Amino acid sequence: MHDERDGDAPPSEPTEPGRRSFLKGLGFAGAAGSGLLAEKPMAEAAETVGKLPPGHLDITLTVNGKPRKVQVEPRTTLLDALRIRLEPNLTGAKLVCGEGTCGACTVMLDGKTAYACLVLAVDAVGRQVTTVEGLGTPDALSPLQAAFIEKDGLMCGFCTPGFVTSLTALLRKNPSPNEQQVREACHGNFCRCGTYPRIFEAALAAAKAPAVKKG
Amino acid sequence: MSTPTPTPAPGAAPKKMKKIKVTRAVNGIDTEVEIEVEDTNEGPVWGPNDKHRLVNSRLVRVDAAPKVTGAAKYTHDIKLPGMLYARVLRSPHAHARVTAIDTSAAAALPGVKAVVVGPPIDVKLPFEVIFEGQAVAAVAAGTPEQAEDARKAIKVTYEALPHVCAAQDAIKPDAPVVVTGDPNVEPKGKKGEPAQADAAFAACDAVVEADYKTPVIHHCCLETHGMVIDYRGGDTATVYATTQGVFSVKTDAVKALGLPEDKVVILTEYMGGGFGSKFGLGTEGLLAVELSKRAKAPVHLMLTRRDEFTMAGNRSGSWQSLKGGVMKDGRFVVLKTYQRRLGGIADGSAAVQPYVYTPEVAYSEDVAVHTHECPSRAMRAPGHVQSGFAMEMMVDELAHKIGMDPLEFRKKNIKGDDAKNWHRTLDKGAAAIGWSRRNATPGAGAGPRKRGIGCAVATWGGGGNNQCKVTVDIAPDGAVTVKCGTQDLGTGTRTFMRAIVAEELGLGMKDVVEKIGDSRLGGANGSGGSTTAGSLAPSVKVAAYRARNAFAEKIAPLLKVTPDKVTFADGMVVGGDQKLTWKRACAALAPAGLSVLGDWKAELQSKTTHPAAFAEVEVDVETGRVKPIKIVSVQDCGLPLSRTTLESQINGGMIQSMGMALWEGNVMDADLGVRLNPSFMDYKMPGSLEIPELVPIIDDDDPREAAIGVAEPCLIPTVGALINAIYNACGVRIRELPATPDKVLMALLSQEKKA
Repeated sequence: MHDERDGDAPPSEPTEPGRRSFLKGLGFAGAAGSGLLAEKPMAEAAETVGKLPPGHLDITLTVNGKPRKVQVEPRTTLLDALRIRLEPNLTGAKLVCGEGTCGACTVMLDGKTAYACLVLAVDAVGRQVTTVEGLGTPDALSPLQAAFIEKDGLMCGFCTPGFVTSLTALLRKNPSPNEQQVREACHGNFCRCGTYPRIFEAALAAAKAPAVKKG
Repeated sequence: MSTPTPTPAPGAAPKKMKKIKVTRAVNGIDTEVEIEVEDTNEGPVWGPNDKHRLVNSRLVRVDAAPKVTGAAKYTHDIKLPGMLYARVLRSPHAHARVTAIDTSAAAALPGVKAVVVGPPIDVKLPFEVIFEGQAVAAVAAGTPEQAEDARKAIKVTYEALPHVCAAQDAIKPDAPVVVTGDPNVEPKGKKGEPAQADAAFAACDAVVEADYKTPVIHHCCLETHGMVIDYRGGDTATVYATTQGVFSVKTDAVKALGLPEDKVVILTEYMGGGFGSKFGLGTEGLLAVELSKRAKAPVHLMLTRRDEFTMAGNRSGSWQSLKGGVMKDGRFVVLKTYQRRLGGIADGSAAVQPYVYTPEVAYSEDVAVHTHECPSRAMRAPGHVQSGFAMEMMVDELAHKIGMDPLEFRKKNIKGDDAKNWHRTLDKGAAAIGWSRRNATPGAGAGPRKRGIGCAVATWGGGGNNQCKVTVDIAPDGAVTVKCGTQDLGTGTRTFMRAIVAEELGLGMKDVVEKIGDSRLGGANGSGGSTTAGSLAPSVKVAAYRARNAFAEKIAPLLKVTPDKVTFADGMVVGGDQKLTWKRACAALAPAGLSVLGDWKAELQSKTTHPAAFAEVEVDVETGRVKPIKIVSVQDCGLPLSRTTLESQINGGMIQSMGMALWEGNVMDADLGVRLNPSFMDYKMPGSLEIPELVPIIDDDDPREAAIGVAEPCLIPTVGALINAIYNACGVRIRELPATPDKVLMALLSQEKKA
């Protein structure tokens, strides 16, 4: 009766995923009728997005400043491409809701924040993808990451990469935000442990800290 | 879980034992059990709370760097060669008979390696599903997309059956029976004499009778439930689990896999939140194990957010009828309670009334009302949150009815040996919020935006038990490792483990490494019932103390002193006029180093906490919108192990409690039997724009020199404080949570009509 209630209705044909109509709208129509998603050996996949072969696509993403070759399906999200398809993969961006509500998958696309779960990997081709791993490492922390640690702006840590990414984007755009601007910059990010007050403190402290990297 | 075996000192006489009562949490629900421990005055003590060097200081969370850089690997992040991704198919019906499941089309899809029907695995048809979201099948395939295609291709034939998804319908005599063998209204306990309570009301100066309702609340752990089962046939398996109980998962996994206990390893290096919902293997784990067995490949089964909302448990709702009677002088004479727990097909939870306060006469009755809804699980202070809210509302209403300051009324009616502790936390909170600023008359003040202040108290055990086996290793190269199979939920477990050992050995935080989240390490309790600190910290302290003593024994001859003259401070080992650097001294431990086991010492922990919360809100009487302005939470906890992480935890308690008070709640369409808001889109959690000024206060006047867990108590009272603040602001009682604008406006409107 209400099998379709939760928004993932069974497809009329099992091999026709819901995103195909979406792809058509994006100009993938030529490939759509030709068994785009039929399983083919990886080696048969063509080399560029423009050629759109049956099966997987070989694309090159620019991730944290480096070209990264990756095989994806047309429907593969940027988030899955980063987390699962890249070798070695990048798991800093988290899959939490998969529908653009929580911000745990936040990355930067050409310097602007984006929910990687709502971006198709193929749409990220030719754009600068920055993940939390590109902002700093445990041995070379960014000023904001150091401030998160100093102020204890984290608990379980699962939402933390998303907050760090959103607020890094803010500080690159506005190096001296006020608290309201900090709050607005991360209102697309959810935390359940309750680290918000210390995240705000961390962002404001990092804003005062010297040498915030400009993107 | 096995009980740690104390390491006997060589040649020691038989130990004198004593029996004590401790808290043990099973699936997050705490119970009291009697255990036998050594009766001795020997061993370490914590010493005065203000005389610690690292413990009780502002420590930096030791696992922060990997978390802020994305380097920390959670269960969800595990990727193994040949690993399959799994998806679960759930029932869309609240109550139905499953007459057929056709998995052939799904199994034939590209990349699909295994399909499972159940649980129970390979369930015999027909069978009944009794809540929307109940798992009926699962698939594993090469990619998440293929698994999703296959999930959708499973054809299930349901024959819809009558359901009941509202408590007020479930209690009717002709309602469909929800749980076979149980009545829809299942008695859970009675206390007191009803006739005595009824008689006591006659003599009271004022009586308040009201129903208080709290909705089903979701845990909303950012990392959904799930497991990666690495089993490829053969006789060993590794389970990556996002869990609060490494060893309870192990018990379940060993059984499900059918492997010997020593062949199954559970790993939980980092985990993305639990709040009481993540203990055993769970439905998702059972399905993942079976898929892994069938595919002979590792299986990654993490629930989707919608799965999580509909099948992974929640905080049970409540519908509580309270009647209280008082005298004009503030004497709380009588309380009569009828509590209904709304835990769906499960029992839900409730704390025994009267909660905290001690009316002279009390009668309470507690029932579980079953509906065709997802079974509840423990959630941060199960039962206390619901019962505490109702009691704090009742107390506030009674105080106002006799024109008494609600803070004074509370202090007058908390009795017994513990009363002084609540008086202390209440006084501190009142000072911090500025209690005297509050409206003398609720709703006073000009203009549409009205401010008000409210308060509430709570209680929780927070003691520990003897389930943790901790080892401290000192290597000849100077490396110090503290090891236990426990888990860190983001509470700071790793941080206090390291601090205790470093402090005992005269080292810095960077000189010690902790290893946790691995079932090959020493056993540990599940992190439920706030029992982690009280269980683990004493065991770590004993292990560190024994390691220090053992080291002193070994190094004393070299320093030409007796072992009792060896001291450890500032990274040096000192005896008489001889001084060795830590590294130099450790070289004397070659070749094997030291490895010392610590067991639990009851005297190093305590229990029972007395938190108080105060809140200030602004109510817009034209829109009904409630804006939290400031929350103060005062928490006693004996010896604070790590102040920074403790304050963060108290902040979290306030924020989660605020969500419950003002915005959160499961919305069920009782006619259709489906949930209407199973996503973050429609389930409103507190976000960055709603966070008020938060003031976490650690009660440093708690004289106990003992570790006590506070994850749960620090959540409970805020919800009552906020709702009582709404009353103080605008003069209306919101007796059903959350206090959304519609409810506030309706209450204001009905008050206007009365006036």
